[in-house]
Amino acid sequence: MTFSRLLATASLSLGLIASASVAAQAETASLDLVGPLAEYKIYVAENTSQLVKDTTAFVAAIKSGDVEEAKALFAPTRTSYEKVEPIAELFADLDVSIDARADDYEKGEADPTFTGFHRIEYGLWEKNSTDGLEEVADRLLADIIELDNRINGLTFPPETVAGGAAALMEEVAATKVSGEEDRYSGTDLWDFDANFAGSRKIFDLMKPLVVDSDPEFVATVEANFAAVDKVLATYQTESGGYVTYSNLTDDDRTLLTAKVNTLAEDLSTLRGKLGLD
Amino acid sequence: MACPVNNHSNRPTHAQGCPVASRRQVLFGLGAAGGALASATGATAAETAQSPQVADAPSGHLGDTLQSVPFHGRHQAGIVTPRPANGLVASFDTIVQSPDEMEQMFRRLTERIAFLTSGGDVPDRDPKLPPLDSGILGPHIAPDNLTVTVGLGASFFDKVGLEALKPKTLQRMTEFPNDALDPELCHGDVVLQFCANTQDTNIHALRDILKTLSGHLVLRWMQDGDVPVILPGPDGRAESARNYLGFRDGSANPDSTDANRMDEIVWAGADEPAWTQDGTYMAVRIIRNFVERWDRTPLGEQEAIFGRTKDAGAPFGGTHEYDEFDYADDPDGALTPLDAHIRLANPRVPATEENIILRRPFNYANGATRANQLDHGLLFIAFQADLEKGFIAVQNRLNGEPLEEYIKPVGGGYFFVLPGAQNAGDYLGRTLVDAVS
Repeated sequence: MTFSRLLATASLSLGLIASASVAAQAETASLDLVGPLAEYKIYVAENTSQLVKDTTAFVAAIKSGDVEEAKALFAPTRTSYEKVEPIAELFADLDVSIDARADDYEKGEADPTFTGFHRIEYGLWEKNSTDGLEEVADRLLADIIELDNRINGLTFPPETVAGGAAALMEEVAATKVSGEEDRYSGTDLWDFDANFAGSRKIFDLMKPLVVDSDPEFVATVEANFAAVDKVLATYQTESGGYVTYSNLTDDDRTLLTAKVNTLAEDLSTLRGKLGLD
Repeated sequence: MACPVNNHSNRPTHAQGCPVASRRQVLFGLGAAGGALASATGATAAETAQSPQVADAPSGHLGDTLQSVPFHGRHQAGIVTPRPANGLVASFDTIVQSPDEMEQMFRRLTERIAFLTSGGDVPDRDPKLPPLDSGILGPHIAPDNLTVTVGLGASFFDKVGLEALKPKTLQRMTEFPNDALDPELCHGDVVLQFCANTQDTNIHALRDILKTLSGHLVLRWMQDGDVPVILPGPDGRAESARNYLGFRDGSANPDSTDANRMDEIVWAGADEPAWTQDGTYMAVRIIRNFVERWDRTPLGEQEAIFGRTKDAGAPFGGTHEYDEFDYADDPDGALTPLDAHIRLANPRVPATEENIILRRPFNYANGATRANQLDHGLLFIAFQADLEKGFIAVQNRLNGEPLEEYIKPVGGGYFFVLPGAQNAGDYLGRTLVDAVS
């Protein structure tokens, strides 16, 4: 969830604007970027397809009233969304209804237009119940399917993709290190991991285009990603998930914050280094 | 030069011989001279261009922006330096874990502070890249009296494995009986104190350091504040500024221009690790003031609580804030109550001479509380040669004072301020780095 989303009030037209302007911008992409962009598009498509599949199971668990199953599926379902957030956020109307947090509403959790993952998270963890979540769950699945359709029809704007590596770090820096993103479930480290994976993917795809001209930049970014991986690995569970966020020590939180800030600083230059506006 | 009008507070200011005019008078004057006329007759484009517009940058401080405080010296600036109008304390956690990383951080900090405090042009950068500077002061950075003072918390020495080199009385701040410490406003591995003529200059410097030291420092808490500007007394002598309780603060401070006194009171002593020489201990406290309740307290009671008159700031029985006095002829507190703030803080007897500290506070205004009251208070900053004999001893004497009903310390921390960087080849923290190898 970004601040920009607050500015872009839920309007269906936004998606169409995004698609139209995107097409024009894509034509200017340099030849070098064609390969990485095509590969990234496949990465995003795989993730949104996984997201549809996982959300379908998640919604089914909610509608059958299985609280424990729904809780278990919450974090892993979200990861596919968090990995491709720079693209998913192009559709501000869907991003609001899929991933808004209670703080985005003056009335908080009581706001009737508060929907999506975090509304369901609130019900599952705070109320320990699926009561009243059926409608929200149906809406979530419909939104995710719509997102998948729109993304499949989208020509990716190169500066959004290149800038996405830093944008994901900004997401973590602004709302995730505080533990406020998944405040009811404490599953923030799952989101962290997905945001880093999504950022790393973009960086890895673009790396061949900058490594010769700026090897120091590439080395610094890789070292910082590695430092993050090292910290996250200590919080991984045997099943590949993560312990709740409150287990994170103050020192590790400081380290993650510093690395996220430094990655955001460094990756904010990636667009420019690729010659994109 | 244009005479300054404080752009943060709209309070009339007095500096550098300018005639004092309130903003109101200035506006009235303009109205009569041109503004009203122009609006009545229809201003031409040329007239409009010359007459002040609402969004024009304030014309105050044009001369002040060129003032600078030398960065290099035995001691860091910002300690015995006369306090400018605005201050900001930012506390950081660090991810520095080794002496090598520590040296890298100190060198980087020194480089940024040396630039920011002397000013200069921001380097151009390819417009496809984010700019190197926030730009809030424009392309040319003026020094604006900026000082940036660097200190280390006890936790810093633990993190880098240098416990043996920790200054003798440096410790984690503990909760005093009247405190209600918010853990998110306390402690820190590294502290930076920014002081400048305008808060914008402090904020610009803070943002620069956040950006350029993101690999070393993570912001933990920050509090800014300012000093109300007041007219000098009838004799032309500057008087101590007032806190948000309306009382003068700092009247009994030791003379910061007296180098021998500062050696005794402020700079770390010979019994400390050698690297600390020319450094000092810094106590920071974020002290909330319950100003609404205070304003509903009778004047006589307010004065009895502080132990001074409110208007003049004079001791009881005196007429001027700087009158010399002690309590020898008032052993039972008939004149100045025994539990008056200034009497407890400084009993003015030989035995408490070693507890004298140098205070350099700012007032803060943080908006409103959940209880619909103003969140105002004092960003207390004190420097001393020994933390235990200094702030801690003074605060222990103050515990239980009547003033506690109106104040609530909520944050802060203890730090050791590094010795100065002596010259362009030196850097802050060098003596600590050298002590390791």
